Formats: sequence, C-alpha cells, structure tokens
Amino acid sequence: MALLITGVAGFVGSHLAERLLKEGFDLIGVDSFLDYYPKGIKENNLKRVRENPRFEFIEGNLLNLNLKEILEQVDAVFHQAAIPGVRASWGKDFSQYVENNIQATQVLLEACKDIRLKKFIYASSSSIYGDSDELPIKETSPTNPVSPYGVSKLAGEHLTALYFKGYGIPTVSLRYFTVYGSRQRPDMGFHKFISAVLLGREIEIYGTGEQTRDFTFIEDAVEANLQAFFGGKEGEAYNVGGGSRIKLIEAIRIIEEISGKSANLKYKDPQRGDAKHTYADVSKAKRDFGYSPKVNIYEGLARHCKWLKDNLDIYR
Amino acid sequence: MPIDEKLLEILACPKCKGDIRLSEDQAGLICDRCKLLYPIKDDIPIMLIEEAVKLGESV
Repeated sequence: MALLITGVAGFVGSHLAERLLKEGFDLIGVDSFLDYYPKGIKENNLKRVRENPRFEFIEGNLLNLNLKEILEQVDAVFHQAAIPGVRASWGKDFSQYVENNIQATQVLLEACKDIRLKKFIYASSSSIYGDSDELPIKETSPTNPVSPYGVSKLAGEHLTALYFKGYGIPTVSLRYFTVYGSRQRPDMGFHKFISAVLLGREIEIYGTGEQTRDFTFIEDAVEANLQAFFGGKEGEAYNVGGGSRIKLIEAIRIIEEISGKSANLKYKDPQRGDAKHTYADVSKAKRDFGYSPKVNIYEGLARHCKWLKDNLDIYR
Repeated sequence: MPIDEKLLEILACPKCKGDIRLSEDQAGLICDRCKLLYPIKDDIPIMLIEEAVKLGESV
C-alpha cells in the first residue's frame, strides 16, 4: 500500500514518514521547502527516509503539481503541508497563509474527488480554538482563533469536512496541541528554550510564563495519525493532545533540571495571537481509535534535550 | 541512486501539466512545450516553476 505525505520534510511530516516506512508502507513525499526556516534543516529531517528505497520524493508545490497522477498511485493522504507560525501570520504575509494553508488544501481535495482513497488525514491545530473558556477543550468547543494562522487552519479543516460531505472524500482532521520532540521547528518554544539554556543565551518569555500548554510528544502525534488512518471516522475532527498540561515557566524549570544549567529569562509583552491556555480533551480520539498519549512531559523533554544537545550544529 | 522510472511516469510539467522527459545527461526533466528544464538534484526532481531553467530553441 502506498501513501502520500505532503509537507514531508517538516517536523511532523518527516517523523510520520519514518514511522510509516517502518510499518511497511510505500511512500511518496512532497515538499516545496517553503522558506519559513532554512532548507538545510528540512533536508536534514529527510536524511533517514531518503535512504529507504520505498520512499520517493518530489520537490514541488501542491498548487501546480499534477496531483491526480500522483494521487492515483496512493491509497491515502497525510496532508501535513502548511506554513506555520501564529505570530508571523499577521500583516501582509497573510497571503502566504491563504495560499499554502487554504488554497493548497482546496486544490489537493479537488484532485482527490475522483480517486478512491482509504483516508485523507488533515493536520489541523489547537490554534483553531483560540482562547477557550472551557477547559479541557472538547472538539465541540467553540472555534474562535486568535491568530490569522488559526483562521487559515480552521478554513482548511472546514474544506476537508466539506469535501467529505460533498464528494465523500474520507477526511479526518487531527487537531495537534503543541507538538515537540526531536527536529521541532527552530521557531517553536521548546526548541528555543532548550537551545538557549544549552548555549547560555537569554530566553524571551512572552507574558508572565503562567500561560499553560498541552504539550504533545512527536511519537504520540505520529501514533495518532496511524490510528486515525485505520480507525478515524470520516468527516470527523479529533484533538491530539499529550496529556501534559503545564505552565510555560514550569517547562523551563524542567529543562533546567534536565540540563543542569540555569535559564536566563527575559520577560516581554504578551504576543498577539498566542492563546492563554490550551488543554485537550482527547476522549473522542481514545474512544474512536484508541489514542492514548504515552510520553509524559518529563520523559519527552529529556529526550528532546538530549537530541538537541547532540544536534545543535544543524541549527547554527 | 538514479531517479525511479515509476516516479518519472507520474510527473508532469507543473506549468502546462504536459509530459516531461529525462534529459540526455539525466540532470533534469524537460518539458518540450514550455522549453523548461526541471533540475534533478541529489536524485530529487525539483518540480518548481521558479527553479526551472529556460531552454534554448535548439534543445
């Protein structure tokens, strides 16, 4: 069975590719190497999978690739491709978010119309909820994004649900809650915090540090994809959280403890677009496909720290 | 590792969606209609219009 991963050179995409190859699937990976962060980092993400003869890689943009011919070769799609970043999505760059997160999703779904897919998994985001009054957040909680990025991911999710209703494409959306672990994007919190602690640099904290996040270890996010591929209900969306909701400041204390080094904190004003708290209710994913996060924040951060310590050169 | 033949079969020119062919030196994929060469770097076909090389009439 062959599968397609879009955004395969990214953080989640590359881990997912490794896992799916390990499970015995053939893979086609597509990535356009958007310049949100350096290409060399993404090439490094792909290093291991590219050694596998069951992996084919195409550098291309979903908006103009001949998707039908590619889709005819595969049984399922894992649509991870997107331009990330809540803060960067404000201002004139929003057009990139429209193009890469909304239009590209629509073009891909359009190309799937005449293909008999087993599943179309869409990488959604907890950012679609914004500042939720209800915690933990259920899939039925209101979706009020607080960033243009969140708006773009929500639009993509609506499109997947719409193409399920209109054309029967078996879509499933996975709403990731702050994924971390080896190869996390360099602009993401834990990557920045761990690097700063290891290198003795300043850590910028936006706000008081009292904001809480539900952190999801990469292996759990990947497992959710596999489980949703087999057991996700078509047209549905699922929270994928890590069950490790902690304050940002506590996470930094754990990093200090693991690394044996002190963090040099510099408090800055809260950023527009950041949600105050996120905490996922994952009972729906558990009920429908047995999702249960395995890696707690202590183990996850220890593994993330170790990996980054050994691989800091990639990011210099 | 040379580029996989099956992959070649499913790829098309991202500009016109027409057929492409492997260049003689296997360094890229040519769309004769658009007169563009899409480079192959480290065995990866770069199917991006902005990275394509314009070809002369004689190619």
